[in-house]
Amino acid sequence: MRFLIALAWKNLSRYRRRTIITALAIAVGLGVYLWMDAWIYGVKLDSQRNLVFYEMGAAKVMKASYWKDLGSFPLKESIENLSLVEERLRPLGVQMTRRVPFSGEVFLGEGSLFIRLEGIDPVSDGRLFRLKESVEQGRYLQPGEQGLLIGAGLAKDLKAALGDLITVRCRTRQGAFQTFDLEVVGILNSPNPQVNRRYAYLPLSLVDEMLQMEGRVTELVLFFSGWDRPEQKVEQIKTALADLPGLAAVSWKLLASDYFAALRGDTIGNTLMLFLVFIIAAVGISNTMLMAVMERHREVGMMRALGMKDGQIRLSFLLEAAGIGLIGALGGLALGAALSFWIVTWGVDYSSLLEGMDYGYRVKGLMRGAWHPEAFAGAFIFALLASMVFSFIPTGRAVRMQIAACLRSQ
Amino acid sequence: MKRAIFALAVLIGAAWAGRAISAEEIIRAMERNQVHDTAEADGTLVITDRFGSRTKTFKSFSAGEDKMLIAFTNPEEKGQKILKLQEEIYLYFPEAEEIVHLQGGALKQSVMGSDFSYEDLTGEKGLLSLYDASLLGEEELDGRRTYHLRLKGKKSGVAYPLEEIWVDAELMVLKKANLYALSGKLLKDLVVKEVKRIGGKNVPVAFLMRDKMKKVSSTEFKLANLRIDQGLPPKIFSRENLSW
Repeated sequence: MRFLIALAWKNLSRYRRRTIITALAIAVGLGVYLWMDAWIYGVKLDSQRNLVFYEMGAAKVMKASYWKDLGSFPLKESIENLSLVEERLRPLGVQMTRRVPFSGEVFLGEGSLFIRLEGIDPVSDGRLFRLKESVEQGRYLQPGEQGLLIGAGLAKDLKAALGDLITVRCRTRQGAFQTFDLEVVGILNSPNPQVNRRYAYLPLSLVDEMLQMEGRVTELVLFFSGWDRPEQKVEQIKTALADLPGLAAVSWKLLASDYFAALRGDTIGNTLMLFLVFIIAAVGISNTMLMAVMERHREVGMMRALGMKDGQIRLSFLLEAAGIGLIGALGGLALGAALSFWIVTWGVDYSSLLEGMDYGYRVKGLMRGAWHPEAFAGAFIFALLASMVFSFIPTGRAVRMQIAACLRSQ
Repeated sequence: MKRAIFALAVLIGAAWAGRAISAEEIIRAMERNQVHDTAEADGTLVITDRFGSRTKTFKSFSAGEDKMLIAFTNPEEKGQKILKLQEEIYLYFPEAEEIVHLQGGALKQSVMGSDFSYEDLTGEKGLLSLYDASLLGEEELDGRRTYHLRLKGKKSGVAYPLEEIWVDAELMVLKKANLYALSGKLLKDLVVKEVKRIGGKNVPVAFLMRDKMKKVSSTEFKLANLRIDQGLPPKIFSRENLSW
């Protein structure tokens, strides 16, 4: 075996240019894939964090009929036995806050916009969500006040400033038109662009009065450790609430369908990138090994005449291919690491391009990457194995040649 | 004895002649002019907002208060239809060959971006089932004597919990309506621009709805070639007929 490895290495050195070119093609393809993977991974991690801590929480409990018609905020579908639900959930180690989201049209000056409003309990909401620390101007909400907290993007669209009186037009729980005038007490600038552009917050007590909720709420937002893998906890929650009919427990992963649609699109793009690397490796390695076999007929004939077995001859070529793959993979890792360092440290600022756009990700515009060690390990192994696999067929020619024919060839 | 009875009859007659009309009577008289066994018309909808004006044309068919069909004829929406059957609204989109049943929150959406919602097309029969009416007095509006009424929603689910309407005292036709939110804020007003005498009834054929919370937002609704109580085939008010 040592002899075969030494032989493979010697052959790589003999055909240096070919080795370098093939390895370089693999390295560039791999490096670019790792860079894109790090970028998407970083945006994914940021988006998830911003979704959970600024927008949705880790999970929500709501009425099943409310969940079915979520987009239209059916206020009539409020959670029954709310205190009992909260009592059941406390032993599971979840933290909770009550919310009533509704849609409304906000008016200031000549402009109006349809937005999402959230009636929140400023005390519990302030503890669990990170909106409080995102207030850029003014202050966070206080319980019971007639105030509004709006995102910086919404403030810009409405041309609103602190102290302005914004009129909200909406419907009560029973469907009657309602309006109320609220003072802008705070403008927040969170890392979540959706929150900044489309959300406004007001005290739950005010929503209760103006929308005639009579103490009812439509959503119970939950936080728990291990939020990035919520499936198990959600199952526990469902079990705890099993005897309370008509309720749904939904994780943030199900709630954030637009984010996952964007992620799927980019994952497909990245998979395509990997497929291209696959093709580069396949074509490059196959071509290189085919040329190696065809050029070394006499050499192969000599080795067979000296008693080397078919398996050993094949293995020598496969090791040569693996060597090219190894050089390419190492080069790819180095290139990928260099590009990833740039994207992790500085990122790319797309703010001006993406301003006002809904692209699914919950990232404001500065897109930073994140180190993804699993991708590096996977890419390295892939390059090695792919190199060996794609050289298997071309090297088959070597073992099918007759000794005499090999020794006769020029 | 006979003299006493005669005197009593005269007194009752005089009292009846001088009796003021009630709010309910005004509304019933107004609704008699608005509701027809069948009606058919060509219509125009001009929707104006801060981005400009756009015009939609349509043919409308109705039978009583429970059935209505609007088929759009302008190029952008040609073939699109709205069917109302009792409380249900169905939309038909010819390009997708799809019938959409509007329910719940979807009924609150605006019709073609106008100041009317689909919910405005549904609703129970008659104002008196939704509102308690009171007569505030008589006023002159555009040179016409009108009855000024206040309507207060009976149930908490009425879309406009408070309305004020002005009814032409002679024609018994709506002249103007102010629609208010629960807070008392004026949301919309509706002004009848033209009334025609058709089939023995005084029928509003042109009106303007304005969103009073926006600087520029109005919907002008006009009916032409209105034919009342001339019969319509019942099958046109069916889901199956939508795709024809």
